[in-house]
Amino acid sequence: MAASPDVENRVEDITRVRSREIATRVLLAGFALLILAVPFLGASPFFITLLTEALIFGIWAMSLDLLVGYTGLVSFGHAASFGFATYAAGIFAMNVSADFFLSTMVAILTAAAVAFFTGLVVTRLSGIAFAILTLCICQVLFQISVVWRSFTGGLDGLIGVPLPTLFGREVEPGEEFYLLTAATLIICYLLLRRVVESPFGKTLLAIRANEDRAAAIGIDVRRHKLVILILSWMTGGVAGTLFVFLKAGANPMSLYWIESGNILAITILGGIGTLFGPIIGAIGFIFIRDQVTTMYRAWQFSFGLAFVLAVLFMPSGIAGIAERIWRRLWPARS
Amino acid sequence: MDWNFLFVNSLNGIIYGSFLALTSLGLSLVFGLGRVVNFAHGVLYALGGYFFIIFLPSLGWSAMLFAPLVVVPLAIAMEWLTIAPIRNRDEIYTLLVTFGLSFMITGAIEYLWGTETTLIKPPVIFQGTVDILGNQFPVYRLFASTLSLLVTGLVFVFIQFTPVGLKIRAITDDNEMAEALGINTRWLLTSIFGGAAGFAAFAGALGAPIFSVEPEMGMGIIIDSFLAVILGGLGHLPGTAVGAFIVALAKSIGGGYIAEWAIAVLFLVVAAIMVLRPKGVFGRGRIA
Repeated sequence: MAASPDVENRVEDITRVRSREIATRVLLAGFALLILAVPFLGASPFFITLLTEALIFGIWAMSLDLLVGYTGLVSFGHAASFGFATYAAGIFAMNVSADFFLSTMVAILTAAAVAFFTGLVVTRLSGIAFAILTLCICQVLFQISVVWRSFTGGLDGLIGVPLPTLFGREVEPGEEFYLLTAATLIICYLLLRRVVESPFGKTLLAIRANEDRAAAIGIDVRRHKLVILILSWMTGGVAGTLFVFLKAGANPMSLYWIESGNILAITILGGIGTLFGPIIGAIGFIFIRDQVTTMYRAWQFSFGLAFVLAVLFMPSGIAGIAERIWRRLWPARS
Repeated sequence: MDWNFLFVNSLNGIIYGSFLALTSLGLSLVFGLGRVVNFAHGVLYALGGYFFIIFLPSLGWSAMLFAPLVVVPLAIAMEWLTIAPIRNRDEIYTLLVTFGLSFMITGAIEYLWGTETTLIKPPVIFQGTVDILGNQFPVYRLFASTLSLLVTGLVFVFIQFTPVGLKIRAITDDNEMAEALGINTRWLLTSIFGGAAGFAAFAGALGAPIFSVEPEMGMGIIIDSFLAVILGGLGHLPGTAVGAFIVALAKSIGGGYIAEWAIAVLFLVVAAIMVLRPKGVFGRGRIA
């Protein structure tokens, strides 16, 4: 994908770079605090619910960024990770226990299992072939969710998923559930940040830059792809679990390929390879869609246009532009 | 076993297949020539259907020819503005850009012409039914699928027996060598892109009295076309045509017995083929 922005750093002053990094962390911490503080700032219940959905999409888009941004694998079937988890967590919560941790574990583990078997096949491929194959696999899951009525409820989906419980106490919808979502997002971000900054994450960047060369210097490309695919699906599974509790139900449309396209567009518009960008992309998408669809019928056209322009002219997305401005505010060159 | 049920489903499959062959052929051709994965091919088919029903009241049935004539320049402008600038980038970008385009155009269709489904009546001379082995079959279906097959056949003849066709095959075989021999690949890709769009639009117009016209029609057929193209091997035209019939028959025959499971199985089969025979069932196409 896009050239690594790190190249620009070469001639920069190391102490200045460090001070900019600290500033970046302060900024991110401020953002995290802001997200956690939203319910205490007198936001309306409607706004809170909308923001909850946006943050869930943020987790999901982050999980896709692991594939698209950090490994160079454009998945056109990432609805699978999310949609599959909505069913796994929903069915578990309805029949066994609505405990949030248990449901999340079930969703994560089943998502990991499906990702493992999917990965055995899709990791052989990259580029266009990977995109189309992931699309096919997602459609298989979509069809199964529609046809297997006794288990999934067919086109109606799951209805009447109970409220989640946390430490034996029911999480109330609205502000409490929002705080749960926000905390989950922050934890996911911190964990994934560690992953992408680890030697493993750097190896992924090598695969993204050139798969053949990475293999030539002894990197087990398929193994790395498999691990990141599983990790990505597990993170998508967390998002799916939150979503099924938010909506109190699951719907086969979250497995449909157009949903995969949506989340891919959100991730790319937000800025791939940044983890943070996709969260911004998701918040922007959910809020603009909500504001706009009621009064402006050309929403889908505009969204498509924005995506086309982004791919053509700013492949690094919103986060890429923000980063450029940030670098100018904190110049690291003397 | 109910043979008649099987027969009717097969016949419907063949009819859908003859349309699918026409759309997937364009998809395969554009991929073979320029390594462009045109996700927007489906919405060009939809545009064909829409321009047809718009022109129909004033132009009558000649609208079927005018609809593609409007879509072709649109497609050429699309190629020139969005695909040509990224030809030097990774192929995956063509998939992303055309995906965005298909979103845009579907949105534009809904904005301009609403979300209703329109089913128009076939022309008066084709409105009757014909008796095939005791089944009443609409004449128009048979006529339209024959015409569609005929056009598909003409595309093959064009590619196999004309000088331009020879150039197209040369580029598909080895792009750089063809360019070194003095073939203007840039110009040829743009015109083939336009031509493929024209055939897709024609299929959309021709199919309007059978499959009806609605905003999402392009999104449906693009997925089936992708399956057909992968089955036959990307860029391999005869394989693509066979792939189209496999997909259509699997959907209509399989659908008759095991309902939607048939589609799940079809996707699994295509996924297996991508991995086990990445060059398609005939081993003549190319992928990745």
